[in-house]
Amino acid sequence: MTLTRLAERLRDGELSPREAVQHYLDRIEAHRDLNAYISVRAEQALAEADAAVLAFSRGPLWGVPVAVKDVIDVEGTRTTAASEILRDNVAERDAEVVANLRAAGAIVLGKLNLHEFAYGASTTSPHFGPAHNPWAPDRIAGGSSGGSGVAVAAQLAAGTLGTDTAGSIRIPAAFCGVTGLRPSTGLVSNDGVVPVSWTFDAVGPLAQTAEECSLILQAIAPDFRPEPADGELRVGLVTTLLDQAEPAVAAVVEEAASELEAERVAAPMLGHAGLIQQLVMLPDAAAAHLPWLRERLPDYGADVRARLLAGLLLPATAYPTGLRARRWLADQVAPLFERYDVLAAPAMPIVAPPIGEDPVELRGERTPYRLTVIPFNSPASCLGLPAASVPCGFVDGLPVGLALIGRGGADAAVLRAAEGFQQLTDWHEQRPAIAADAI
Amino acid sequence: MDPESSLVSALRELAREQGVRPTDEDLEGVLGFLQRILPELEELERLLPEDATP
Repeated sequence: MTLTRLAERLRDGELSPREAVQHYLDRIEAHRDLNAYISVRAEQALAEADAAVLAFSRGPLWGVPVAVKDVIDVEGTRTTAASEILRDNVAERDAEVVANLRAAGAIVLGKLNLHEFAYGASTTSPHFGPAHNPWAPDRIAGGSSGGSGVAVAAQLAAGTLGTDTAGSIRIPAAFCGVTGLRPSTGLVSNDGVVPVSWTFDAVGPLAQTAEECSLILQAIAPDFRPEPADGELRVGLVTTLLDQAEPAVAAVVEEAASELEAERVAAPMLGHAGLIQQLVMLPDAAAAHLPWLRERLPDYGADVRARLLAGLLLPATAYPTGLRARRWLADQVAPLFERYDVLAAPAMPIVAPPIGEDPVELRGERTPYRLTVIPFNSPASCLGLPAASVPCGFVDGLPVGLALIGRGGADAAVLRAAEGFQQLTDWHEQRPAIAADAI
Repeated sequence: MDPESSLVSALRELAREQGVRPTDEDLEGVLGFLQRILPELEELERLLPEDATP
């Protein structure tokens, strides 16, 4: 059942908040092998469901069970960031986004698995184990918000929050066959969220549909207003990225873009975004982690430790060069958004690879997995643009995501394009077998 | 000391000055990363107009 329909049934009294919470708790227990959750708030969520019935005001998400990535603080529950360093770190108060979800009536089921410190795209923490893709449990869920993607795809929550610094919402959304939105940078508060990069971090929703993502975004971002679905959106299909994807993935995305009557457009300047983002993100992350780098270095997983040390030892001039180049890149990209309201591209150039496989196969070459991620996800993150991944087909039985990117602040246009696509197609209704018995 | 070892030693010193004590294996990984990214950084610097500001 969609989040929207669930909210309706709760409002209409067809289902109580306790019944809804218990349903998801039962599913979480039955599918523990997916390793989507790090902490489950079973008793607290049931108590909150009972308290919801007595609440004076009932928000739009009243009684809806949701879950959040385990870098987002929930009072009284540990925030581990899937790390050894924060294994026993209990949050003293709710993150602002959690407080907003609660104000809208949502009930937090628990904290979701992720790549260690949200600093990688696999969700294979050496400390908490890998999240398993519901479509093929031997494959990764993507990341860093892997548990957030798994929980939506396997119906272990009605909707989830993730964070996206360089693709961390869009990648698991694509690999798990759900809808995810990285909002414009700054639209959603990062208060109470373990940082990767103060420059690029963005909290955003994952759900089955764009309409549901919009509902969650309205709850967590008081300044966000959806826009009515009138008038045509001009969509440009970025051939520069299409040509770098696996041919079977590119074919699926091209077919999907044709539903939106997308016009093909080259955007070679986007090829600089990955490097530019690295120049700023790496030092940001090293600065955020410096106290732990000094005291707890051996407690990091190897890949995260390597990235943090790279940021520590990058020449100081890299950072201002990155900031200058980001502004320059924004100027280069601006004309594209005069011609188009939304840019379309593959969210990822490949489907989910097997857990532990790195390098991966991309266009006949063995390519480090992280290098498949960067070109497709950094353009939006680097420039702070809103970007969604929506399910748009399958390759070898695994989901493919269509990326839709808007100009800064045009989150509503991106969601409108995504909703328009989902009115024309039913890819978002496809569920893995594991979710067939959900309400 | 071969040039690679001396670069690793320089990185070790730079890390220690910041209170961080990585292993040689860690530093060899960082060196490999820097050897890839620094030429790209130089190319980007050349590409940027002089008046480009953050």
